[in-house]
Amino acid sequence: MAVLKNKISLKNVSKTYYLKDRTVEVLKDITLDVKENEFLVLLGPGQCGKTVLLNIIADLEKATSGEIIFADGRPKMGDLGMVFQKYALFPWKTVMGNVEMNQKLKGVDKATRQAKAQEYINLVGLQGFEKAIPKQLSGGMKQRVGIARAYASESDIMLMDEPFGALDAQTRYSMEDEIIKIWEKNKRTIVFVTNNVEEALYLGDRIMLLASRPSYVKKEYIVDLPRPRSYTDKAFLEMRNEIVANTDLDI
Amino acid sequence: MENKKRTKTKYFCLSVLGLFLFFGIWELSVRLGWVSDRVLSPPSTVVETFIFKLSNVNPDGSTLPQHFLQSLRLALSSFAVAVVIGVPLGWIMGYYKWASWLLNPLFEIIRPIPPIAWIPIIILTMGIGMSAKMFIIFVAAFVPCVINSYLGIRLTDQVRINVAKTFGASDWEIFTTVCIPSSMNMVFTGVRLSLNASWTTLCAAEMLAATRGLGYMIQLGRTLIRPDIIIVGMFTIGFTGALLNKVLGMFEKKVAPWRYRE
Amino acid sequence: MNSSEVKKWYYILPVLSIGMFFAAWIFLSQGADTMIPTPYATLQRFLDICVNPISEATLIVHIWASLKRVLIAFFFAIVLGVFLGVGLGWSKAFDSFLGPVFEILRPIPPIAWIPLVILWCGIGELPKVVIVFIGSFVPIVLNTCSGIKEIDPLLINAGLVLGANRRQLLFEITLPATVPAILAGIRTALSSGWMCVVAAEMIVAKQGVGFLIVRGQESGDTALILACMLVIGVVNLLLSTILVKLEGVLCPWQFSKTK
Repeated sequence: MAVLKNKISLKNVSKTYYLKDRTVEVLKDITLDVKENEFLVLLGPGQCGKTVLLNIIADLEKATSGEIIFADGRPKMGDLGMVFQKYALFPWKTVMGNVEMNQKLKGVDKATRQAKAQEYINLVGLQGFEKAIPKQLSGGMKQRVGIARAYASESDIMLMDEPFGALDAQTRYSMEDEIIKIWEKNKRTIVFVTNNVEEALYLGDRIMLLASRPSYVKKEYIVDLPRPRSYTDKAFLEMRNEIVANTDLDI
Repeated sequence: MENKKRTKTKYFCLSVLGLFLFFGIWELSVRLGWVSDRVLSPPSTVVETFIFKLSNVNPDGSTLPQHFLQSLRLALSSFAVAVVIGVPLGWIMGYYKWASWLLNPLFEIIRPIPPIAWIPIIILTMGIGMSAKMFIIFVAAFVPCVINSYLGIRLTDQVRINVAKTFGASDWEIFTTVCIPSSMNMVFTGVRLSLNASWTTLCAAEMLAATRGLGYMIQLGRTLIRPDIIIVGMFTIGFTGALLNKVLGMFEKKVAPWRYRE
Repeated sequence: MNSSEVKKWYYILPVLSIGMFFAAWIFLSQGADTMIPTPYATLQRFLDICVNPISEATLIVHIWASLKRVLIAFFFAIVLGVFLGVGLGWSKAFDSFLGPVFEILRPIPPIAWIPLVILWCGIGELPKVVIVFIGSFVPIVLNTCSGIKEIDPLLINAGLVLGANRRQLLFEITLPATVPAILAGIRTALSSGWMCVVAAEMIVAKQGVGFLIVRGQESGDTALILACMLVIGVVNLLLSTILVKLEGVLCPWQFSKTK
């Protein structure tokens, strides 16, 4: 693999919550680099603060200490794509309305932004559903809208917070294939959070294994398996066992 | 941290300013003659009247504490009866189909009629005594109790009932150990609505037919063109209503802590 | 019980209960010194006031008089209530400034305003409209305000990530997300407003259903009172049915709401 440029660098990022009667240390000295156009997976047990870390990168929360350096300067709000676990679609908007939201907020005129949105709706395979509202869609389709909406921000960085966590197993497998297909067609830097080891191995170029509370980077795994990967491949299983042995138990 | 404290102080000052402006404008509007003192009394006069009414029966025949106790006794006793009868009735209607088929049609007829509209017929048939007013308030408080307890049982998660069934619970055990506890959320909503309804309806009943009580006092204040008395009455009614709600909230927190939120 | 037997009871019991209701009514209306009219007398009185005017107005005119007051007040209550509710829910500063004053006035039941409002506005149309306004304004403010405060933080985060500024966050995301809560408030407000107009008319009016019912009381005409109660109930039911239908049209993304 060629040497890739660092896209985002986290340096000693820590987060502590000061509650009324106690303090909770969620993240502790997280240092990692995200390379350009790579598919990086942050893998950790439930409740370990992965979402907090993603929110800090997206500037939705402030780190208590440490710094985050973007190679091309910190993107403005709206110049960064994010996919949420529970979809976070706007229930009163159609599929088109959701996907064009970013461009609409930026003041792009209707014809341009809808043409753009249509491209991304096609990319995630939802053509024909432009006028549907989220309530009428299945979980997998909702998350396709979520992905299209994030892609439509035209950002080269995509943050994905357990996007398939709420889906049933079958849909989840097909969405994993789908996201790889989309990413290969339209390369972006992806930071993907999950608590599922197989998912991490199936998708990631690189996996950062996070420890449980407080969270820190426990180990880095480079997944050098060719795509499309197979869950039953020998190398895949070996790696899986190694990671599982290393994972903190989620209580 | 330091910053947080500063914004807190800022918001506190805004609150004080808001209250100060409200009472200030109110006081000045009467003092400076923008508003006639026949239609509005300044806060200072209201406070004076309040203190005066604490021990003096003029001009309406009873002191404020007498009015207050009369109203409170009436509202609370009817409210208590309504809760004691209404909540179990709602539970039974929710759990036993025959009860809901038998009683639901009656509630569907009664429910849309505002309790206030009951006042004339009850006054004509029962007079203007204590029992007539108790009945009116009972009607007002009863309906929300029944309906919410009924819904509470009906909305019980079927999974919980199935779990109890697999443990071999009898019909009655499911009713008492699963359905009733899970209905408590809705029951409390009903009790709260019921308390508010009884306090509001009490006001109306006393305004239309009474010789004592807070509702009577404000109604007489209108006849005598004494805005100060009306306003003292209004604030007493409002404050008591808020206080009753607070007490109910504290009770809820004790009995159903899972429901309580800041 | 097998299921066909259960089904049989499903039809028999409601009929039985309505039957018992009328039986009890007829029973109460018998006897020399009773004040209660028979169901038949009530029906007759109802038909009578439909055609023969009381106080120069037939029933439909009285109903319209009450409805008009409610609708006018309701219009202002929605506009100002949503405005105030959004202010209180959205801006911490606005909430600190006006919140305490609102909290002092809020617990006063709208009916307790009647005497003061009559002193202010006399006995024309205005005082009734003001009373109904007070009665429907408060639930709209409360629902709007709590709807805004309880919006799903995930939607706010999504809006922020998509680049919404504070104004866009309010108009593009928070307000649409609050529409169901506002509609729930409007439903409470309408039924509270209808109660208020009845109460206000009972205390002072020359027209309206509340006036009719008090007229019945003053003249000992209990058939008129019962007919009016029925009319008041039916109008209330119609109003809320219309609103529920309207909710389905206004926010199709959420017809099945849990209150």
